Amino acid sequence: MDTTGPVERVLRGIAISLVILFFMFPIFWILLMSFQTNETILRVPPSMVFEPTLQNYRALITGRLETQTSTLEIRFMSNLYNSFFLSATSVAVGLLLGVPAAYAFARLKFRGSEDIAFTLLSFRFAPPLLVLLPLTIYFQQLGLSNTYGGLIWVYQLIVLPLILWIVRGYFEDIPADVEYAYRIAGHDFWATFWKVSLPLAMPGIAAAGLLAFIFAWNNFIFALVLASADKQPVTVGALAFVTASGIQYGQIAAGIVLSITPTFLLAILAQRYLVEGLSLGAVKG
Amino acid sequence: MYDKEKTLADAFVAKKIDRRELLRGMSALGVTTAMASVLVNASATRALAQNGFDWKAHEGTTIKLLLNQHPYTDAMIANLENFKELTGMDVQYDVFPEDVYFERVTAALASRSSEYDAFMSGAYMTWTYGPAGWIDDLNEYINDPSKTNPDYNWEDVLEGVRKSCAWNGQPGGELGSADAKQWCIPLAYEQNNLTYNQKVFDAAGLSVPTDLDSLVETAAAAKAAMGGNNYGIGVRGSRSWATIHPGFLSGYSNFGQVDLTVGADGKLSAAMNTDVSKTFHAKWVDMIQNSGASDWSTHTWYQVGTDVGAGRSAMMYDADILGYFMNGPGNAEAGNLAFSAFKANPDAAAPTPNIWIWAMAMSSFSTKKDAAWYFLQWVTGPEHSLFGAREMDLVNPSRASIWADDIFRAKLSSSYQGYVEMHDVSAPGASIKFTAQPLFFDLTTEWAATLQQMVARQVPVDEGLDMLAESVNRQLAEAGLR
Repeated sequence: MDTTGPVERVLRGIAISLVILFFMFPIFWILLMSFQTNETILRVPPSMVFEPTLQNYRALITGRLETQTSTLEIRFMSNLYNSFFLSATSVAVGLLLGVPAAYAFARLKFRGSEDIAFTLLSFRFAPPLLVLLPLTIYFQQLGLSNTYGGLIWVYQLIVLPLILWIVRGYFEDIPADVEYAYRIAGHDFWATFWKVSLPLAMPGIAAAGLLAFIFAWNNFIFALVLASADKQPVTVGALAFVTASGIQYGQIAAGIVLSITPTFLLAILAQRYLVEGLSLGAVKG
Repeated sequence: MYDKEKTLADAFVAKKIDRRELLRGMSALGVTTAMASVLVNASATRALAQNGFDWKAHEGTTIKLLLNQHPYTDAMIANLENFKELTGMDVQYDVFPEDVYFERVTAALASRSSEYDAFMSGAYMTWTYGPAGWIDDLNEYINDPSKTNPDYNWEDVLEGVRKSCAWNGQPGGELGSADAKQWCIPLAYEQNNLTYNQKVFDAAGLSVPTDLDSLVETAAAAKAAMGGNNYGIGVRGSRSWATIHPGFLSGYSNFGQVDLTVGADGKLSAAMNTDVSKTFHAKWVDMIQNSGASDWSTHTWYQVGTDVGAGRSAMMYDADILGYFMNGPGNAEAGNLAFSAFKANPDAAAPTPNIWIWAMAMSSFSTKKDAAWYFLQWVTGPEHSLFGAREMDLVNPSRASIWADDIFRAKLSSSYQGYVEMHDVSAPGASIKFTAQPLFFDLTTEWAATLQQMVARQVPVDEGLDMLAESVNRQLAEAGLR
């Protein structure tokens, strides 16, 4: 039965609207900026009335940036592709390695299991700048420098601990009795893992995968140091609009809109899994 | 190329016809102005190939460059095909945005990577790279006639700029001394002078400031005249060494002041707390408090430039090329900006702008140094500099011969009021005014932080400078430099 009075409903609606306005206004403003020229963006005072233009999006998509003084080649779409490829592949590899490992840490007690799990988590503690120089040297010696394979490998520092620890918590929350019952029915270990444990843990795996994707997408420093300009992600590529001859605010805004779209869509599509997965994995029964 | 076009371009390079005749001739042949420029440069390259130097010595070799995203790089890339044709070499390059560029350079050099043979650098950065053994002394190439083409004309590079790229590696050692190593070669450089909004000055009946006192007064009058959130003068204010090096140090050094003094024993001491320095700081702080941006402490190159280009500030005391860019299309005040050399000290003979130099340096870990030098001498040579200055935005070129070029001067004078005169007046006194030493970035950043405290009224100027000097001296002593 709904016990909320009309006044309370109105006040709640206003409060929610204000919160939404507060959090969404920067994104809304960026969206508006993406349809303006630099000149209109920099008007004093700023105005929401302007003649919209698609020139910023056109510049990003065609790869030709008109600056105050010249026409520049930009690689934004290539940066966007790199971000998507590196993040998606890294998460795929991370899931392939991390989910079985998480299951092992959750279910199989063996000597040093906690130490190993903690060591993997500690990868998240190390500041990237601390490991970058030795990594650069090793990558050069191993021929991994400036390769997608090398970057995907180093991205495991970001995604693997995240996947492992989130999914481990989730596996631990699944009652072992369910697995035992399936084993007693005559199925082997692997069949139990594939048919029972994995489907039950799927929301947690989806949540971990999504978070790992977002963390990988937002990474900046690894590709900057370890790869050439043609393999840079969008986080580095977006800086190309800050030039000595001026800041291209319109193109930055359009770049932000394009670059947040994949993660934004992914978050909306997987929102249910994200909330369910994280909350269930976090509660101990 | 067709013979008629080629003949025209060659005639222009040989100075048998002028630019107007060239363009008229090309136009008659259906060639656009832009294409005419490329053809002229191809012709200049052919002339270079005839100078008796073995340009093909490294034919087939591929070198790789690390470049900063900048109009200078655009000029380089636009002309690259001519270098390839001249030498038969191939050139690969990575271009990174300026915000992350030096991190990338440092990572490549610190890891002793042989990936890049040469790279763009600021002169200040070579004070770190050189003593670390990461870059080569280019004197051995410049002075070797078997490696350097006879038309390179090294002495043509402006003396102050040339010497600012050379240091003997001794803390406090004079730049460009006889024993200095040439760590880099200038591509182009920036002087710090006044860029002002002519429209605002005319409307408010203001005169161009001629010294620090009149700068302070004019900035206040401009702010009052503009009203609103607008302000009188743009100078940098972020907590970075880059706040000190443009207008601030240019004005400061014009009063004969230095950052550090070098004793007879070679030891360094802070010199920011002299009486003259305190007076200068007090006026500077007063100017920012009364007529600067309200968010001055966040202002970097970008904010200072954007505001003068958008008409929010009446003038700026910063890099002349920043004013050059902001006077171009896409800015609200395009065409309204004018330039003036600035002498802060009324008793000084001439302006003494501190400078920033974008230069080329050679990685010590390159495995193709001789080939890389071919590129360096071409890209810093007279032919490419002329192309960049005339057809692209290679301002300010570092060669005297380019500044003597009528076409380049006419190009500037037609759209950038007072730019050529400003350069002519201040170039003789233009050089790096800092003392070269390994703690440069740390100490200069602390100087900027102290300036912020003074402007925020957290510390009086006299006391702040005494504290700064004490801190600098302590750090110098800890580093064994005092």
